[in-house]
Amino acid sequence: MPEEQSQTIMAVDELQAIIQRCVAGQKCLEDGYASQLLEVIQNEKNKVIIKNMGWNLISPLVRCIFMYKQEDDKREHCLKILDQLAQLCNPKELFLGLLEQIEQTSGEQVCQTVMLLLQPLQTVLLKLQNKKAYSVGLSLAMIMNQLTPLPVPYTKQQIQEDKLGLCQCCNAVVDFAKPFVSEVVKNMEKSSEYNDMELKEELLKFCMKSLKYPLLTAQLEQLEGIEEHPFRRFATEIIDILWNIRELIPLVFLHRKGKSPHWENQEFADIEQKNSAESLACLSYLMFVQRFGIDCFPMVFSPSYLLQCNMTHIEVLLIRTEESMLSKGLDLFESCLLRMENNSLLHQYLEFRGFINVPQVLVKVMTLCPIEHLRKKSLNILQLFIDKFDAEGKYTLFRCLLKTSNHAGVEGYVIKNIKDQIHLSLMKACDNTWFTGQHLISLLDLVLLLPEGAETDLLQNSDRIMASLNLLRYLIIKDCESDNQTGVWTILPKIEQNFLKPLHVGLNMSKAHYEAEIKNKKENRREAHSSNTVCSLTVSGEKMPAMTTEMQLQVLHSALFTFDLIESVLSRVEELIEVKIKGGMDENS
Amino acid sequence: MTTDEATKSEGEVQAAALAERGEDITPARDRGVLKIIKRPGSEDETPMIGDKVYVHYKGKLANGKKFDSSRDRNEPFVFSLGKGQVIKAWDIGVATMKKGEICYLLCKPEYAYGSAGSAPKIPSNATLFFEASRAGAVELLDFKGEDLFEDGGIIRRIKRKGEGYSNPNEGATVEIHLEGFCGGTRFDCKDVKFVVGEGEDHDIPIGIDKALEKMQRGEHCILYLGPRYGFGEAGKPKYGIQANAELVYEVTLKSFEKAKESWEMDTKEKLEQAAIVKEKGTMYFKEGKYLQAVIQYGKIVSWLEMEYGLSEKESKASDSFLLAAFLNLAMCYLKLREYAKAVECCDKALGLDQDNEKGLYRRGEARLLMNEFELAKCDFQRVLEVNPQNKAAKSQISVCQKKTKEHNERDRRIYANMFTKFAERDAK
Repeated sequence: MPEEQSQTIMAVDELQAIIQRCVAGQKCLEDGYASQLLEVIQNEKNKVIIKNMGWNLISPLVRCIFMYKQEDDKREHCLKILDQLAQLCNPKELFLGLLEQIEQTSGEQVCQTVMLLLQPLQTVLLKLQNKKAYSVGLSLAMIMNQLTPLPVPYTKQQIQEDKLGLCQCCNAVVDFAKPFVSEVVKNMEKSSEYNDMELKEELLKFCMKSLKYPLLTAQLEQLEGIEEHPFRRFATEIIDILWNIRELIPLVFLHRKGKSPHWENQEFADIEQKNSAESLACLSYLMFVQRFGIDCFPMVFSPSYLLQCNMTHIEVLLIRTEESMLSKGLDLFESCLLRMENNSLLHQYLEFRGFINVPQVLVKVMTLCPIEHLRKKSLNILQLFIDKFDAEGKYTLFRCLLKTSNHAGVEGYVIKNIKDQIHLSLMKACDNTWFTGQHLISLLDLVLLLPEGAETDLLQNSDRIMASLNLLRYLIIKDCESDNQTGVWTILPKIEQNFLKPLHVGLNMSKAHYEAEIKNKKENRREAHSSNTVCSLTVSGEKMPAMTTEMQLQVLHSALFTFDLIESVLSRVEELIEVKIKGGMDENS
Repeated sequence: MTTDEATKSEGEVQAAALAERGEDITPARDRGVLKIIKRPGSEDETPMIGDKVYVHYKGKLANGKKFDSSRDRNEPFVFSLGKGQVIKAWDIGVATMKKGEICYLLCKPEYAYGSAGSAPKIPSNATLFFEASRAGAVELLDFKGEDLFEDGGIIRRIKRKGEGYSNPNEGATVEIHLEGFCGGTRFDCKDVKFVVGEGEDHDIPIGIDKALEKMQRGEHCILYLGPRYGFGEAGKPKYGIQANAELVYEVTLKSFEKAKESWEMDTKEKLEQAAIVKEKGTMYFKEGKYLQAVIQYGKIVSWLEMEYGLSEKESKASDSFLLAAFLNLAMCYLKLREYAKAVECCDKALGLDQDNEKGLYRRGEARLLMNEFELAKCDFQRVLEVNPQNKAAKSQISVCQKKTKEHNERDRRIYANMFTKFAERDAK
């Protein structure tokens, strides 16, 4: 036989032997001979084979570990084998084997598998020379990818139960990353020009990802009865990492648009910026609301500037519908506002897009969010926001909200605020040109009218109409015609034409209409009990029961009551006007 | 004495010294900010409003407790002077410092954090003390002109501050005095009134329009324009300006009247203005002034994109304006080589009219230039479905196919080499 052929046959034989050994190893495990396998592995003679082929054992090992009970000896042996493999095997191949194993798990197995393999993974990564940074990044990305589909425990009970092990796992991962952080720190201290950015970049990416998941959706308040809140701990660790790699402060100020140093292509930088918006918002929340890392933050910024910087983050959080994000946005907004003194926020800040957008988004939360305590909170925050502005700011904000909120309740609330400001101006409690005279007249034009004249739906707009009437009543009482500080007497004819007269007409029409409806229903009830449902209403997939005639009558009566209310205030206002005018005429005659 | 006590008494001594001998640097002369110079600066100039300043500092409360220090962060603290970014005491104090100077500042709460304090470290009504340690108190390290758009394109140095904080917005009418210099020679000097965004009509480069949006009434400043914000590749033969020249302008914003914000206009107004603005945009486009055209078309989008409560007639008009705006914006971005933005605009146009030939074609062009050959080909194929006669689309499809082939060839060559290299390395 020629030389080459025999050599080839020998090689093939060797290969077969090796393959057999692998299969044998697997079989050993599966048949329960873990301790024997451990001996084989610990045997010096087998070192080379283990080095090259040991990674094959990962998969069966993991399976066995999960099969055996905690107390079982065999489990102990398997864990030891895992440890040995980490020490002995070729790091590059073992790394791929471990990663593959993690990639293949899903559902309930994920956290258990990850936590099991973190230690060997760390050992192996620390041994890598080339491509260490890339591999660390890949590992962290892979792990976070596997964790992301899992639901984040939110209530106290869910956190204590930690059914899928996510809380534990997250903290294990952040601990796993620590030696790599130390390495970056050491390198940065060694040379002031730290050239090898790669490992730092990968850690930064991991932190950004963690800020989005799980931290953005996690509940981060202190919980009674839970000593060490797992997500608070996780958050603190992430911030620690960012501080150590010197990225914490730069990230908090990333709102300054500019060329991102990470990307050459500006378009990629834009995309990255969009994706990172939520992570950065979460970071601000952690810093300013939960006060993690606030010690590192410069304490010389003006509170107005801090609010300005946070407006983008607040907006990012408030446009979401998930409770976890909405409540963080509201908390962040509130904490920024509480740092400011009333009347200290200059009106010029309203020229920043965010300052006009955010109150409008807040109004949406106030009116549309299904969660009651969040609606209430946003209303409180709106009032706080209003209170912080100087007079011109309040004025502009009121105008903006009246024009953009499209909600009678909100408009009514703003009108009440206007009344309060006028009151303060008249009491000379503040030096105020914005809520008297020419400016006020311009504002009153927006307030003292019916949006659709006599055809305005009085019921839907009742909040707003009542608030306007109360405002008018206040003005008539407080501001004498001779004084006319507010200018209301100047525009009284206009008010009568645009507001009071059409309101009379509208009220008469509405009352007549509803009274006719009531009469109809009562007559129909006497006749047949047929349900001629003109339309049906479905809420959350369930069809609402048709209203009984009784209920319908109740609704119609309550509408009439509202009209009566409006009319009584209207009459009172007109009475007052007459009295004042007459009084004025008497004085002059 | 313990270190704390030592620090405390040292702090008290210095605070006392400031209270006694410190200079009152407040404009209101209410002793709200007191200063003592520890070491005078090396140069004469003080920073101007808007300049970027680099400072090292250490801050203490009245009880001597340190609440902050830039040296703990190993990095100087950077901010824009006189813009309200920092507590009032600093905007006032740092403005009086010269480069290299070290000083102490004693700040009353009204010039710091007032009654609100600053959680967690600064209580309500706290007097703050920025003080000396061996490392230095407040040290002004450096300052430089303000980079308006953080891309080096426009640098501003303010010679005289304007009033208030209000700025002209896009579309505002401004009255300015302007002098333009190139290579040291003055080429333009005039008083002019125009609309921000339309400076081109008066031979004013786009950089001035952009800078005006950050200026205040009465401000007098010097602007250093890079070519992108100047006359660009076309230069300005009328003034003898070459292509890609760097320009220096001295501008005084005498007065301005702001344009209405979107929420202040009603639908009728917006539709009227949209017609006017569309024509302007087209005019600029024909002259090759793409940045200006983008501004005009952009107005249509910002006014109408989120407009609600339109009647049917208004809705139709609005959609027609938006469609034209998006399509034209896409063309502009193609010319400006901002391909991702071009695709975005085409997407929006196609959202309004899904088989719009121009929209599909322009998106195809943009994608081709972004090397997304498959996607580009799909777009061009759809163009042909809408209009089988479109010859340009046909030829673009062949271009796509050719490029795809070239790319694959190149990849194959690269990877072939790669494996050979790996094999060689492993063999070693």
